[in-house]
Amino acid sequence: MNNSSKLKRVLEGGGFAVTAECGPPKGANSDVVLKKAEMLRNKVDAVNVTDNQTAIVRMSSIAACSLLKTAGLDPVLQMVVRDRNRIALQSDILGASALGIRNVLCLSGDHHIFGNQPQAMGVFDLDSIQFVQVVKMMRDEGKILGGDDLSQPPDLFIGAAANPFADPFDFRVIRLAKKIRAGADFIQTQCIYNLYRFERWMGMARDMGLTDKAYILGGVTPLKSPGMAKYMKTKVSGMDIPDELIKRMEGVPKDKQREEGINICVETIQRLREVPGIKGVHIMAIEWEEVVGEIAERAGLLPRPVFG
Amino acid sequence: MITGEQKPIDEIREMIAPYKRILVLGCASCVAECAAGGEKETAMLASTLRIAAKMKGEDVLIEEKTLDRQCVRDFVILLDDIIEKYDAVLSLGCGAGVQAVAEMFTEVPIIPAINTEFLGETRDQGYWLESCLGCGDCMLHHFGGICPVARCSKQLFNGPCGGAMDGRCEINPDVECAWHLIVDRLTKFGALDRLENIYPPKDWSKKQGGGPRKIVREDQQK
Amino acid sequence: MTGEQKRTLALYYCQNVPASGERERQDLEEKYGGNIRLFPVPCSGRLEPIHLLLALEEFADVVYIITCPEGTCRYSEGNKRAKKRVEMTRTIIASIGLEVERIGMIIGSKENPISLADHARAAMERTLRLPPSPVHN
Repeated sequence: MNNSSKLKRVLEGGGFAVTAECGPPKGANSDVVLKKAEMLRNKVDAVNVTDNQTAIVRMSSIAACSLLKTAGLDPVLQMVVRDRNRIALQSDILGASALGIRNVLCLSGDHHIFGNQPQAMGVFDLDSIQFVQVVKMMRDEGKILGGDDLSQPPDLFIGAAANPFADPFDFRVIRLAKKIRAGADFIQTQCIYNLYRFERWMGMARDMGLTDKAYILGGVTPLKSPGMAKYMKTKVSGMDIPDELIKRMEGVPKDKQREEGINICVETIQRLREVPGIKGVHIMAIEWEEVVGEIAERAGLLPRPVFG
Repeated sequence: MITGEQKPIDEIREMIAPYKRILVLGCASCVAECAAGGEKETAMLASTLRIAAKMKGEDVLIEEKTLDRQCVRDFVILLDDIIEKYDAVLSLGCGAGVQAVAEMFTEVPIIPAINTEFLGETRDQGYWLESCLGCGDCMLHHFGGICPVARCSKQLFNGPCGGAMDGRCEINPDVECAWHLIVDRLTKFGALDRLENIYPPKDWSKKQGGGPRKIVREDQQK
Repeated sequence: MTGEQKRTLALYYCQNVPASGERERQDLEEKYGGNIRLFPVPCSGRLEPIHLLLALEEFADVVYIITCPEGTCRYSEGNKRAKKRVEMTRTIIASIGLEVERIGMIIGSKENPISLADHARAAMERTLRLPPSPVHN
């Protein structure tokens, strides 16, 4: 088993990368993770494992990443600063690297008020940008915060998220620049439905030279129903779903809606591939991992490159 | 100012249930400003408790007094002459006030009647907003006078996060996005480029380094 | 039985209410023989929950506030404020199990001005519909 990041090798080799998302179970069952691993095997280059997303308690991201790694996949460890202070974050970074995890995505995390532990104390000791900076310092300088040396630095490809659709719009690209300057090697974006706005944001990123400094992967999520689209539009913060898309989903019979959602997703990927500066796509099929292969196939992204 | 809100009356009645002679003790400083524990609120609470006691036929003495500041010993000492009359004090002071009284009169149980909440400002009549966390290392000058620690739900120093929409925080549309305000404010100053800097991790030892923080000033001492 | 027992009504009224001068007040106190205690206030907005609570605590079965008609307050918002304070005081007494009807409010009508005596009669009628206050019995 090669012990380097496949995602990094694809991107550095100039390939168009494909990543997917795997949500760990609300339980201790490893088989759920391994089943998802089989659905995604050879369909994508790397698999993001969410970290108690929407602040719902689930199997730890590190453990699920380790299961994926053992199964021969390349996991992307999502880590949120909501639940751990700088001691725990740095410690987990070392642990993840020791387990052979080679990618990390540094995030703020959904606020705990939304989850099933609203009484929790939110930590937020570091913010996501500071966290990126710390991981970079650990990797490149072999030091932790405060300057102590590490006996061995972690080996991690560092990622960060970007939401081109949140407000204030003009500031979004400045924040992207900060994340890249902090040390992000790759960026995965929020789900893209409003391509017009996304292209404007990408144009600004190109003008600032950011697309040459980090690999930007566009995020996509297949819609299952018009109801889901409406829910995401109104209830999920930072989500921009144009009304035409909702109408398009409503315009097909109920039993064809999932298929239409996949069609939209494939078309979006095809459009994204034309956007200068985009280096890959991140397919977040929420609790619907089985369609990732079909989407990748129809978008012409298969087969995935194989490294010896 | 320190803000607070009165506890539910049932909770208060339960806490004072074992006592027969109760002093309801207000504070005319912060908690008066936020209409939680000033002279007026103290009189209201005392009257309410007396009404409740009369309804239940309970034989209790409930009297009231309001100190200028419950958290300053020079004022708390004024209770010296009267405290013996009571077997409990129901304090409408903030947490600091309650403890200052408890510290001075160790024989009498001091019961909190309000939940102390935050350091805030009076935004409007009947509207108080948290604006300071007392972090011990003020950085407001960097952020256009808007505190990301107290007013951003995720305490971001490099915000805004991806959840801000139309200037509102993702946790609740009633909450202004502090970072939206910061960006607007710095744009007005022509200082938006300041936010291109990455703010380093905060030194929280100034907030919670080791036990309660204290300030000692020899020049202020006798 | 309860209807025959004595009730005491505390009546706070805005001095803008028609026919509410000192003379009328004395006439009413005489007429009701102490069953109504009348408290003129320059503006109902000056009343605080503590005034209503103390009345209920010390002597009254029921408290009423008579305000001037909406939009006619000479201090512009007094009667609106009075309404909010009545609501707050009702919340307080409800929290200790006292009927909210023990605090009443009558907003005068601009089109049909009603004299203090008529207001007092209406408030007393409603007072008599309630049993004596558990605070004093």
